[in-house]
Amino acid sequence: MLKIENLCKTYPNGTQALNGVSFEVEEGEFLAVIGLSGSGKSTLLRCINRLIEPTSGNIIWNGDDITAATGKEIRNIRRQIGMIFQQFNLVKRSSVNINVLSGRLGYVSTLPSLFHIFSKEDHERVKKTLEMVGLADKIDVRADSLSGGQQQRVGIARALMQEPKMILADEPVASLDPVLAHSILKYLEKLNKEYGMTVICSLHFLDLVHRYATRAIALNEGLLVFEGMPQEIDDAMFKHIYGKEAERIEII
Amino acid sequence: MTTQHSKNDSNEFNQKIIPFLSIIIPGSSQFLFKKNWRGFTIFIFSIISGFLIHWGYDKFNIGKVSINADVSFSWLIFPFLFFYFWNILDAFLIQRDKKSPVLLAFFSIAIILYVIGWSVTGVKLDRLITRFDDAKSVMRKLVNPDFFSTEVDGKIEICSWGCLWDYTAAKFTGAQPPEVFLSTNVGQIFGQKGTVTASSWAVLLGKATKNERIPGFETGKIIETIAIGLLATIFSTILAVPVSFLAAHNIMKRIPGGSIVYYISRTILNIVRAIDTIVWGLIIIVWVGLGSFAGVIALTIHSIAALGKLFSEEIEHIDSGPVEAIEATGGNFYHIVRYAVIPQVIPSFLSYTLLRWDINMRSATVIGFVAGGGIGFFVLETIRMGGYQQYAAALWAIAVVIIVVDYISSKWRFNILKDQPKTAAEIPAWKKIRNVIYVIIGIIVFLYAWEIAKIDLTKLFDPGPTFGRLLKDFVSVDLTGKVIDNVVRELIITIMQAFLATTLGGVLAIPFSFLAAKNLTGKNKFSAWIFYIVRSTFNVLRSIEALLYVAIFVYWVGIGPFAGMLALSVTTFALLGKLFSEAIENIEPGSIEAVNATGANKLQAIVYSIVPQIVPPFLSYLIYQWDINIRMATIIGFAGGGGIGLMLSTFFGSLQYHKAGTVILAIVIVIAIMDFSSAKIREKFV
Repeated sequence: MLKIENLCKTYPNGTQALNGVSFEVEEGEFLAVIGLSGSGKSTLLRCINRLIEPTSGNIIWNGDDITAATGKEIRNIRRQIGMIFQQFNLVKRSSVNINVLSGRLGYVSTLPSLFHIFSKEDHERVKKTLEMVGLADKIDVRADSLSGGQQQRVGIARALMQEPKMILADEPVASLDPVLAHSILKYLEKLNKEYGMTVICSLHFLDLVHRYATRAIALNEGLLVFEGMPQEIDDAMFKHIYGKEAERIEII
Repeated sequence: MTTQHSKNDSNEFNQKIIPFLSIIIPGSSQFLFKKNWRGFTIFIFSIISGFLIHWGYDKFNIGKVSINADVSFSWLIFPFLFFYFWNILDAFLIQRDKKSPVLLAFFSIAIILYVIGWSVTGVKLDRLITRFDDAKSVMRKLVNPDFFSTEVDGKIEICSWGCLWDYTAAKFTGAQPPEVFLSTNVGQIFGQKGTVTASSWAVLLGKATKNERIPGFETGKIIETIAIGLLATIFSTILAVPVSFLAAHNIMKRIPGGSIVYYISRTILNIVRAIDTIVWGLIIIVWVGLGSFAGVIALTIHSIAALGKLFSEEIEHIDSGPVEAIEATGGNFYHIVRYAVIPQVIPSFLSYTLLRWDINMRSATVIGFVAGGGIGFFVLETIRMGGYQQYAAALWAIAVVIIVVDYISSKWRFNILKDQPKTAAEIPAWKKIRNVIYVIIGIIVFLYAWEIAKIDLTKLFDPGPTFGRLLKDFVSVDLTGKVIDNVVRELIITIMQAFLATTLGGVLAIPFSFLAAKNLTGKNKFSAWIFYIVRSTFNVLRSIEALLYVAIFVYWVGIGPFAGMLALSVTTFALLGKLFSEAIENIEPGSIEAVNATGANKLQAIVYSIVPQIVPPFLSYLIYQWDINIRMATIIGFAGGGGIGLMLSTFFGSLQYHKAGTVILAIVIVIAIMDFSSAKIREKFV
């Protein structure tokens, strides 16, 4: 279980990205995080694996205090949490193979990995995960020769290499067209349902939230303004989250 | 309500009083009116021109007007006063939301700068004409390089074009041709059979003893030059890579204490870079002695700093996404560097290395002026003996080598920066074999270069007798009034040389650049010829360093800053001509079409369509050239071109390292200020 307590983040320039956010995530949930751009979604996700240092508050995961972890401990926690990014964050000039293998870095010793030396099991694992995301034939091509949807699947494969217990997805489909959006979210759904991984995913479109999430939270200017079932977000709640001027847009 | 009112009142009062401030401190009211740039520029230029007028009058009587025996002054006060009143008028006009015309201020300052520059660099236009015969004779020698010799009445003479013509004609007609053979000069430049010191390989294989003179192939000076440039590039790239990580902020902030390391490395890189390769050469010969090894070290040091800066900026500009992703998988610092940073920077590192190779090859042609290796040393010798035809042969050889290197380097860079992902899944076998052959050739070339550049790492640990003193003296530089006075004088001359050369070369380059633009000329056969001739002239002139040109102008107008300024103008003309013409080629034809479509005539089209498009790149290139020239001007004195370089070499030659240290410190400060201000100007206007 992931427990966020009174989380605050103030950036050096004075921006208050998170302002006392508290909520809980049960194991095996698919939690959607919604809110306007700049509402603090990305900051929240990055505080969970400490890519961003929270200013105050606690994050407790299965009894471990993530906020108190240091150096090696942080890296051990991070390797159990896969992360998927809006811009895929692949090294474009490296091959798919190396990009996926880099998901294993938290487990291997440093020196061999600096020369791209990995164990046989790790190479087998690459093949398996790439098969799972349907890219087995692309193993040796450079990441930048793939399409956007394919690149995001490589991103998922990289996260899977970590054998994560939880997946953080920061607007994983915001750079993709609607058809591809569904295909990517279906992979996340599969990981959630078949493998029991907890998924925390920030999303822009309510349709996608209704279709995939088991629960949702909403942020507005760093404050938690909603917590509940996706179906509970009606038009009144929508205006509360996104502001009075907002209109709902449907995607296929 | 009342407080609001009184506040407005005091504001209004302030607004009225502000313009008067410019009477006391020029530029201050512009500053207070939030025209920071304008205010600051006015302030700086009034200080600079005020100082220069006083200094020039005091030292050189520049612009002296005597009313009677007691009262005299410099007439340059008039443009200065004009500028001063312009500034006051400007302040009052800004208050009324208007501005006084900048052009007037510009002209008054320009008059001051050019008059002083003209005097201190000793411009003597009359000499260009009165000594034109000297120029003609040196030109004649330059186009008749000493490549072939013939025997006339038992004496060996240079076989010039006429003699070669006779020879060819005789060959064709079947007559007895005069005997023509390669000059010894060619052997010295390109290599010849003779005796050499046994190579370390021969010693290692037991075929010779150490330092034994054995018959062999004497390496030509131009080959030695190529080796120096190549080795310096290889060494500096290898060393610059780790250095660049220390100087990249996004990397260093990840490790404790890294920010301090970052600031220290950046500062060191900037200082090392401000000192020209040639000046490094002076320091290095005190350490390891004269020879090509010293040249390699000097080039390496300077290019580590230059590459280190470029590399670290490249690291700072990578996409941070992959860094975040590797961090999120639990990777440590080394993983981030290896998996997220290095793959991203490889193409740009390679391309900068190739660019540096080009630059190093050019430096290698002149490093011999001080370090005693390569073709520069040969050139110095020929000039000393008045052998202008041998000198000419060396220049032509340099031009060919540099043009070839320039071509290979830019072609290669273009391919690297395209950075296309491979489409073919498998590399064909012949390509694999070819790559292996390339690697083998590379290793052989490297070892050969190592041998002919006489790399001897043991010398590094056995410094020359005065090297310790040099280090000590550099820490306690001589800052006494007299030395400072002299250094300031030479520095002003140096800066003025760069200033005059940039404008002279730039002004000359503009008309020719239009001739060398393919979209203007090159449309029919005749103008295509003009295009090719002007372009190749640019390329040939550009391939030779300013330092190598000085000898020509010394012959023509005499030793001194004027000769140095003219030499700098030649390289300025050539580089700006090329860059300007490329800028013209990049004009969008669409906008010319649009202006033409309105029924405008040719002249109107130029004013409304071409000029606005070429002014920003021209200005940007002019500033770039100014940066280059200010550096070049500091070394032009090594060949008799005046300025601070001559002073520096005198101090080194007479072992006055205290004073040499002062000069180097002054150069570093001036270059730092100039770099900073030109970067600011570029930000603002381009």
